[in-house]
Amino acid sequence: MTTRSVSAFLAPRRRLQLAGLLTPPVLWLGLVYVVALAALLVTAFWTVDELTGQVQIEWTTDNVVEVLTEALYRTVTLRTLGIAVLVTVLDIIVAVPVAFFMAKIARPRMRHLLVIAVLAPLWASYLVKVYAWRALLSSEGLIEWAVSPFGLDTPGYGIVGVVLTLSYLWLPYVIMPIYAGFDRVPDRLLEASADLGAKGWTTLIAVVMPMIRPAIIAGSIFAFSLSLGDYITTGIVGGTTQMLGNLVYANVGAANNLPLAAAISLIPIGIILLYLAAVRRTGALRSL
Amino acid sequence: MDSAIRLRGLHKRYGDTIAVADLDLDIEPGEFFSMLGPSGSGKTTVLRCIAGFEQPTRGTVALFGTDVTALAPFARPVNTVFQDYALFPHLSVIANVEYGLRVAGVGRKERRARAEEALGQVRLAGFEARRPHELSGGQRQRVALARAIVLRPQALLLDEPLGALDLKLREQMQVELKELQRALGITFVFVTHDQDEALTLSDRVAVFDAGEVVQLGTPRDVYDHPRNRFIASFVGSSTLLEPAVSAALGLGSQAMAVRPERVTLDAATGGVPGTIAEVIYTGPEHRIVVDLDGLGARITALEPNMGAQNSRSRGDRVTVSVEPAAAAPLEAEPDAA
Repeated sequence: MTTRSVSAFLAPRRRLQLAGLLTPPVLWLGLVYVVALAALLVTAFWTVDELTGQVQIEWTTDNVVEVLTEALYRTVTLRTLGIAVLVTVLDIIVAVPVAFFMAKIARPRMRHLLVIAVLAPLWASYLVKVYAWRALLSSEGLIEWAVSPFGLDTPGYGIVGVVLTLSYLWLPYVIMPIYAGFDRVPDRLLEASADLGAKGWTTLIAVVMPMIRPAIIAGSIFAFSLSLGDYITTGIVGGTTQMLGNLVYANVGAANNLPLAAAISLIPIGIILLYLAAVRRTGALRSL
Repeated sequence: MDSAIRLRGLHKRYGDTIAVADLDLDIEPGEFFSMLGPSGSGKTTVLRCIAGFEQPTRGTVALFGTDVTALAPFARPVNTVFQDYALFPHLSVIANVEYGLRVAGVGRKERRARAEEALGQVRLAGFEARRPHELSGGQRQRVALARAIVLRPQALLLDEPLGALDLKLREQMQVELKELQRALGITFVFVTHDQDEALTLSDRVAVFDAGEVVQLGTPRDVYDHPRNRFIASFVGSSTLLEPAVSAALGLGSQAMAVRPERVTLDAATGGVPGTIAEVIYTGPEHRIVVDLDGLGARITALEPNMGAQNSRSRGDRVTVSVEPAAAAPLEAEPDAA
C-alpha cells in the first residue's frame, strides 16, 4: 500500500487511528510502570533461602510484618517523612516569592533569563550537584567560611545537610508549577482587588493565594515524593543518617534480601498514595 | 460645586508613544459621560489613570475636589467595571459582590444585606451561590456591576463593559445601565468604541483620536455638528463634501459633512441632478448612492422603506438637495493628507 492509500484507508476509521496512536505508549507505560511495580509488590511476599541467598517463590508475610513492627523501620520512616516534609516546606517558602517575581514583576527579558536560571541546574548531573554540596558543607567549605565570623559552624554531614541539599535539588520542580500558577492569575484580578479597596497584602491573601494553592500543592508533590525516595544524597552528605531508600539499597546490595527491600519500599509508596489521595480533592493534580 | 472628575494636563507616554496628550477634562457629578474612540486612541488609558492603575507621566487627576494623582487605586472613591469582568474565579457570586465590603471591614450581616441589594439592582437575585464560570457573559457583566456599585462609589468607571456581549443583550444592557445610572444618581464614565452606544447612553461624549479629545459635547452636538472629517466618519456615517460640491449644492464654499438621512431626493424645487449608482436595501430603509452630474462626486441618501411605493432603482435620474442647516462645516485640517 502506498502512503496515500494508507491515509485513505485510515481517514474514516477514527478508532483505528486512535488505537494506532495509543498502543505504543500504553504498552510502554504498562510494561515499565505497572508490571515493574506489580513485580515489586509480589516480591515483597517471597522469601530468601538463607543458605544460598536465592530468592524463593514461597509465599510469606514475614517481610511485611517485620517492616511494620520493627522499631528500626518506624524510626527511619519517621525520619524520612520528617526530612521530606521539611524539604517541601523549605522549597515552598523559597519558591513562592521567586515564582511571584518571575511571573508578575520581572519584565519579559528578565523573566526569560530567570526561567533559564531556574531550569539550568536540572541539566547538570545529580551527582555533581550533591558533591558540590558536600564541598559546601565540609568543615573547610564555603558555609563554614561564611558563618564562622558569627560564631557559627557548618551543619556538616547529617540531617541538616540532607535537608539543605534535597531542598536545593528539588527547588526547580517546585518553582516551575508555582510560576505557572502565578502566570495564570490575570493582572486584571489584581487590579480589580485594588479597585475594590484591597491593599497589596490583602490581595495576596484573599485573591492570589487561593488561586495558586493548587500550583503550590502540585510543586509540593515533586519535593515530597522525590525526597521520600532519595538515598544517594543521604549517602553523600548525610553522614550516618539513613533514610528509607538507604535501607532498600542496603537490602538489595549488601544484605542481598530482595524481598525485604521490596517490603521496605512499600512504605514510601504507601505514603505517596495517601498524599496523592489527600491532595486529589484540592484540584492540584489538574494543575500539574 | 467641584467637578466629579477633573483632569488637568494629563499626559501619558509609553516609551516613544504618546497615549494621552495634555488632556484637560471636567466630568460633572451625576453625569453619564462617554469616552468614544477607536482602539489605541487613549480613552482606556484615561480611564485607568482615573482609577489609579496607571500613573500619568505628568498632569493631575482630581476627584470631587481632591487631588488623587498620587493615591493608589484602593484609596480612590471610584470603582471600575472591567471589560473582561475580572471576577474572582474562586469566589461565589455573593462573595465576589461582598469582596469590597469584606476588605473594608463591614460586618457580616450588613455585608450580606448590601450585596443582596446590589444583586437585586442588577436583576441577578437568586444567583448568589453560583461560581463565575457557571454564568453567561451577560450574568457575569451584572455581577461585575453589582460588585462595583455595592461600595456606593461616587463615580463608576466602565471599560467597554458591553464589548463582549452579543447585539441583543448589549441593547438590553444599555437600557439597564442607563436606568441604573439614573437610580444611583452617580457619575458614570463609560469607555466604548461603539458610537451607537455612546450616542444612546450619554449626557456628554468626548471623542478621542490619537490621544486627544477631538470633540466634546452632547450626542446631538457631536452627531449633527461633527467638527472634522474624523468625527464625521467615525461617529455615524456621513458624506464628506469637497468645497466645489458644497458650492454646487448651495451650502457655501468649504468642506462639509452631511448625514445621509438629511439628504433629500427629488425635492419640489432645485437640487443638483444625478444618477443613482447603487440602491442598498437595509430593511428599515434604503441607502441610495447618487453620482452627481459633472462633479465627480457621490452623495448618499437614506429613505425610509415604505414598501414598493418609494422603491428606486439603479440608473434612475434624481435631483439631490441638502438644507443648509443640515450640513456641518468641517474644520480645515492642515495635517490631513
